[in-house]
Amino acid sequence: MAFAAVSEKYSGKMREMEVGAGDKKVLVGGQASMPFCSFDGDLGNKPIIAMEVYDVVDPEWPAAVVDPFKDVINDPVAWAKKNVEDYGAKMICLQLLGTDPNGENRDADYAADLTKKVAEAISVPLMVWGSGNVEKDGEVLAKICETCAGMNLLIGPAVEENYKKIAATALGYGHCVVSQSPIDVNMAKQMNILIGNLGLPLEKIIMEPSTGALGYGVEYTYSVMERISLAALSQNDEKMQCPMINDMGKECWKSREVKLTDVEEPAFGPDMEKRGVLWEAMTAIDMLLSGSNLLIMRNPHAVKLTEEIIDELM
Amino acid sequence: MSRIVIGAGIRGSHVVVDRVEGKVNAAIEKYGVDKAVGLPNTAYYLPTIYGITGIKVETLGDMPAIIKKCRELLAEVPAEDCWLPYLGPGLDSGMATAFAFDLEEALKYLEDPCPYLASKEDPEETDPDIWLGAADDIILRKRGVEFVDGSAPGFAAIVGAAKDVETAIKIAKELQEKSIYVFMASHSPNGVSFAQQLVEGGVQIGWNTRLVPFGYDHSAAIHAIGFAVKAALTFGGKTPGDHVNVLKYIKNRIFAFILALDEVVDEQYAAACGAINFAVPVIADTDFPEVLPTGVCTYEHVVTNIPQEEIVTKGIEVRGLKITVSKIDIPVSYGPAFEGERIKKDAMHVELGGPKSMGFEFAYSKPLDEVEDGKFTVVGPDMKDVEAGGLLPIGIWIELAGRKFQEDFEPILERQCHHLLNGAEGVLHIGQRDIVWMRVSKKAFDAGFTLKNFGTILHAKMHNEFGAIVDKVQVTIYTEEEKVKELLEVARKTWVQRDNRLADMIDETTDTFYSCTLCQSFAPTHVCVVTPERPGLCGAYNWLDCRASYEINPHGPNQPIEKGDTIDERLGKWKGVDEFVVPASGNAFESFAAYSIMEDPMTSCGCFEAIGACLFAANAIMVVDRDYTGETPCGMPFSTLAGTVGGGLQTPGFVGISKFYVGSKKFISAEGGIKRLAWLPKALKEASKEMIDKRGEEIGIPNFYDMIATEENGCTEEEVMAFMTEVGHPALEMDPLM
Ligand code: SF4
Repeated sequence: MAFAAVSEKYSGKMREMEVGAGDKKVLVGGQASMPFCSFDGDLGNKPIIAMEVYDVVDPEWPAAVVDPFKDVINDPVAWAKKNVEDYGAKMICLQLLGTDPNGENRDADYAADLTKKVAEAISVPLMVWGSGNVEKDGEVLAKICETCAGMNLLIGPAVEENYKKIAATALGYGHCVVSQSPIDVNMAKQMNILIGNLGLPLEKIIMEPSTGALGYGVEYTYSVMERISLAALSQNDEKMQCPMINDMGKECWKSREVKLTDVEEPAFGPDMEKRGVLWEAMTAIDMLLSGSNLLIMRNPHAVKLTEEIIDELM
Repeated sequence: MSRIVIGAGIRGSHVVVDRVEGKVNAAIEKYGVDKAVGLPNTAYYLPTIYGITGIKVETLGDMPAIIKKCRELLAEVPAEDCWLPYLGPGLDSGMATAFAFDLEEALKYLEDPCPYLASKEDPEETDPDIWLGAADDIILRKRGVEFVDGSAPGFAAIVGAAKDVETAIKIAKELQEKSIYVFMASHSPNGVSFAQQLVEGGVQIGWNTRLVPFGYDHSAAIHAIGFAVKAALTFGGKTPGDHVNVLKYIKNRIFAFILALDEVVDEQYAAACGAINFAVPVIADTDFPEVLPTGVCTYEHVVTNIPQEEIVTKGIEVRGLKITVSKIDIPVSYGPAFEGERIKKDAMHVELGGPKSMGFEFAYSKPLDEVEDGKFTVVGPDMKDVEAGGLLPIGIWIELAGRKFQEDFEPILERQCHHLLNGAEGVLHIGQRDIVWMRVSKKAFDAGFTLKNFGTILHAKMHNEFGAIVDKVQVTIYTEEEKVKELLEVARKTWVQRDNRLADMIDETTDTFYSCTLCQSFAPTHVCVVTPERPGLCGAYNWLDCRASYEINPHGPNQPIEKGDTIDERLGKWKGVDEFVVPASGNAFESFAAYSIMEDPMTSCGCFEAIGACLFAANAIMVVDRDYTGETPCGMPFSTLAGTVGGGLQTPGFVGISKFYVGSKKFISAEGGIKRLAWLPKALKEASKEMIDKRGEEIGIPNFYDMIATEENGCTEEEVMAFMTEVGHPALEMDPLM
């Protein structure tokens, strides 16, 4: 009997999102099949990796993510350029940790000014990530939207408590929004609906389902994302057809396993860099396998490794 | 009736169009057709004309075509004895007025000096005049965002003038407090304008105080409409000229109303007719016939004879504007972190209600005009009138009103008191209805907390969380024993009625059931179909709760299900339910039976209060709840059973249920109902006694309660069977389960 390959038929398709304006524009998402299942349908655009740049660097960072940027780590603009020019980043994610009121509490004007400088200095699109303080993020990201009008940045994360302010200003000044939900399929959908109701087209929304790193809940993220993908593709649920993003670099590099020395844990071996890189790349692959379209990563080697695997798979 | 208004409007429209035509011709004569015209710094030309017709007016030469359009729209003034429908022609004439005003205002920018402080946010003292004219695109974006994100709930366009400066300040303040923008234009017949009154009263005006002076002339009111149109184009992404969608966007998103103060002249009637096109109702203080029927506007169109003191409230009500309270104005912190806080005896300043006194809370609804939003009163002694550690009775009396409020929502909002009041630091709340027990800490008292603040909290939170159904909240706190007693009796009567209301509802006479998919977050294929006689299996959501939750959040996990044709009455299968279940369960299930444990039982997620399981040998069923940890006659303890049935599966022979469902007439009625019930854990049985006795009466076995075995009679099927035989359990005689 001849072998007949089984193929899944999907009725739905992920939306394609444009980030960046003019010749900086890139396309995200657009797949009509589960990840890398090219035999089932169109794979859409290749997943993109955005490399992180911080306004303020936590002194706790392991050497593996300090050394590659040593010369620029206190200058986000130079760091962003280095990521693009030396490490080939296809997108930059500016992490505005310094705006956190429980940290350095830098103000919205500072953040907006910095964002504009970074955006103008690089030849790839820019994503801007708040500190995670819901109230402050609303204020900071709104200001950034205004200052960077028309640049079509990707702004986030917008959560239930602050999405109105962020999405409304993004709408007013022409940007895309990351809608973040707490590892919950219903909430992910509801956030898209709520943001959509403000008038922001679903084409301008990307979902962040809350990301857990390898060993820190990666499986929860995996199954939520898988379910979102299935709802979008097999059930043709249009509110779920927004592409997905994972803010994962910071999750990986704060994990205990990455920070332990071989003195503290001899079984882990002395090569901390390799361990960290693999930790980040493994997390990335998990995310990609469950349907991620955009990853935020930190270490250049991990980025390279992940991109090689993507190239091999599609 | 409103023919008078529309008639005056049409008359006014003719006057306006004639006048503007003259001005346009004069301007063309003076500057030539190629002279550029427009509002400053905008990509939207003359926004009202552009948004509605798609026509770009860029030069004086473009204007006559618009005048021609106005003429086409203008209706004849209806004859005195004409009773034909008048609203349509009135609206068209109103639109003509709007276009004409748009032209007239644009011409002002050709004047030298220009009467407006173009592109300025606030007039300053050194400026020659106070009028700002049209909002440019920068202001529009900045301020428009507030309309989109809800931090500005809407705008009030004020035309004319208040009766005096004090009243003007009062009105402006009231609107400011509600974060509503005030757009000011036009003047009263004796030449006074509202904006000038504010300036005279020393009030800072401009975009930054949300008190925006557009212009002195009647025509300047068009800038308010222009703002709304530009918002539809910018934020709504509507195409210029797509008037249907532009108007729809404004109606649904830009909540605006006009307050017409002092006598209204024909030209203003004309403007009012224009405004109605944009779903902007007019509220006037003078007395002229109203235009009440709804249709274009969300509610009424023209409401008159409202005293200036009440005009803001009325405007908000007529436009259906939702107020949110951004900050709860109390002297202590507020947030979920304080919900679990305990207040010990020696830390409390006062105890309210509780076992040593009397305490109740009661929420009910009244007609809109009988509730004064934001009014909080304390009747009786307040905290300062008692010594530390004192005791007072308390009655929290909440009066609610809302256009979309239904009586059935009353108990749901009443139940919120617990969680809402507990959120305040230093406030403890236990119980509900007539077993309320509260404490307020010394610290809170020292910080200035008073009993009135209960009102502040309830008002703010109910607006914010239940804004979809609540428009007005008034709270009275009673601490006089006599009064508390008296009102408690009133409340009790209502509670009895409420209890009966849901008890009286049956599935047969209800067309709409509700889904709950909240638990899909961990049981992806699980769907609860909640009917009046079958609450969600967690026990937390009954039919009324689901319905209210849907009204409050139409995109939430509770969706209406039209039950449609009955497929099988006995099993509880309906076409609409099955159609809903298929996609909602991710194609996992094809059919749900509401009343059966054997055939397509509903799925069980994980948070069921209890599990029903078949005892096939005994031809009966048992129910075990979460609190009972011992063995059961089906051979599994609750925890093992839960693992077997949970996770969003249909497992014939088992079903997750709420405890309350056991007392329902529809409790596994397909298999014979409660008559099948042969075993319950003792604690659950005792807690359900009243319910079971009632059902026993109904099925003609008044001593049915005594026929149900518990762990005391045995935890194996054999023991249960022996007990059943001994008591003559009806299930033994029934059709076999399989
Ligand atoms: S168990 Fe309760 S919360 Fe869960 S889906 Fe059913 S009704 Fe909703």
